Amino acid sequence: MNNLVIEPTKYTPNIVFLFDEKVLEISGESYPENTAEFYSPVLKWLIEFLKIKESKTITVNIIIQYFNSSSSKIFMDIFDLLNEKSREGFDIIVNWNYLEADDNMLEYGEEFQEDVDYLKFNLVPRKSI
Amino acid sequence: MTESLYTFKENLAKKGVFLCFNGPISHDLMVEMGDILKLKMQLQEESISTILKVFSLLIEQTQNIIFYSAETIPEPENTSNNIHLGIISVGYLNNSYFVQGGNKVKNNDVSRIEKSLSKLQKMSKEEIKQFYRTQRKLISPETSKGAGLGFIEVARKSSKPIEYHFKKIDDQFSFFSLKTTI
Repeated sequence: MNNLVIEPTKYTPNIVFLFDEKVLEISGESYPENTAEFYSPVLKWLIEFLKIKESKTITVNIIIQYFNSSSSKIFMDIFDLLNEKSREGFDIIVNWNYLEADDNMLEYGEEFQEDVDYLKFNLVPRKSI
Repeated sequence: MTESLYTFKENLAKKGVFLCFNGPISHDLMVEMGDILKLKMQLQEESISTILKVFSLLIEQTQNIIFYSAETIPEPENTSNNIHLGIISVGYLNNSYFVQGGNKVKNNDVSRIEKSLSKLQKMSKEEIKQFYRTQRKLISPETSKGAGLGFIEVARKSSKPIEYHFKKIDDQFSFFSLKTTI
């Protein structure tokens, strides 16, 4: 399986999904013009990736400063997929990175954390994003 | 005309409005407005948390215009290349920031929009948060250009209950205004 790399723009995040390393990273800003269209290849890649047995141990890093409400829906879909796989025995860790000084992103992280029961969901404060 | 432009600008200033755009709005234009808003607030040494809250309201309310304004070019809406028109403003008055967005809506959509807004207006912060989370699980992204979470998101971010108004323009259209406060 190929890696998935999408370069960032001012309003769409950098997507770096590395197959061999089993590290998936979404970083930057997320308020696309058409959110479903932007994330469609991302979800497709993830679904294929999760079908592969060797993908059992995965690290997901989310490093976002701002995301809009439609991106929030996509993130929930991604975490639901990962949560389901965790329930099936995959070892998946999500690191939700947030700016220490920003209570908004901490709160969103806490809510995602509460909405997934099997997935290891860490809240990681950072000095800068 | 040239004299009245000054009066117009002064009227905005009196109401605290420091950023205002009226007319055809594009995604790129919204991104640039967001950038200059963040820069202005950073230079005025606002906290990052406040900056991102006001920024978020500007984005959600502008995307609402871009997705749903019933005033379009060409008119009526007939291609995927329509331009949507509306007005968006950000201001600061009595120690609070506010974001006001407005656009035309079809008269037969008014009661549906009003119903969802009045429901949000009456909810407590905690109720809005729970509603946001249940809706996020329920909504399928294909049914909406955004995720249909926009109004819930702005109600959630707004430190005071949202304020809205519908003014009937003619048999076909009303003007919808939405105000949020930080």
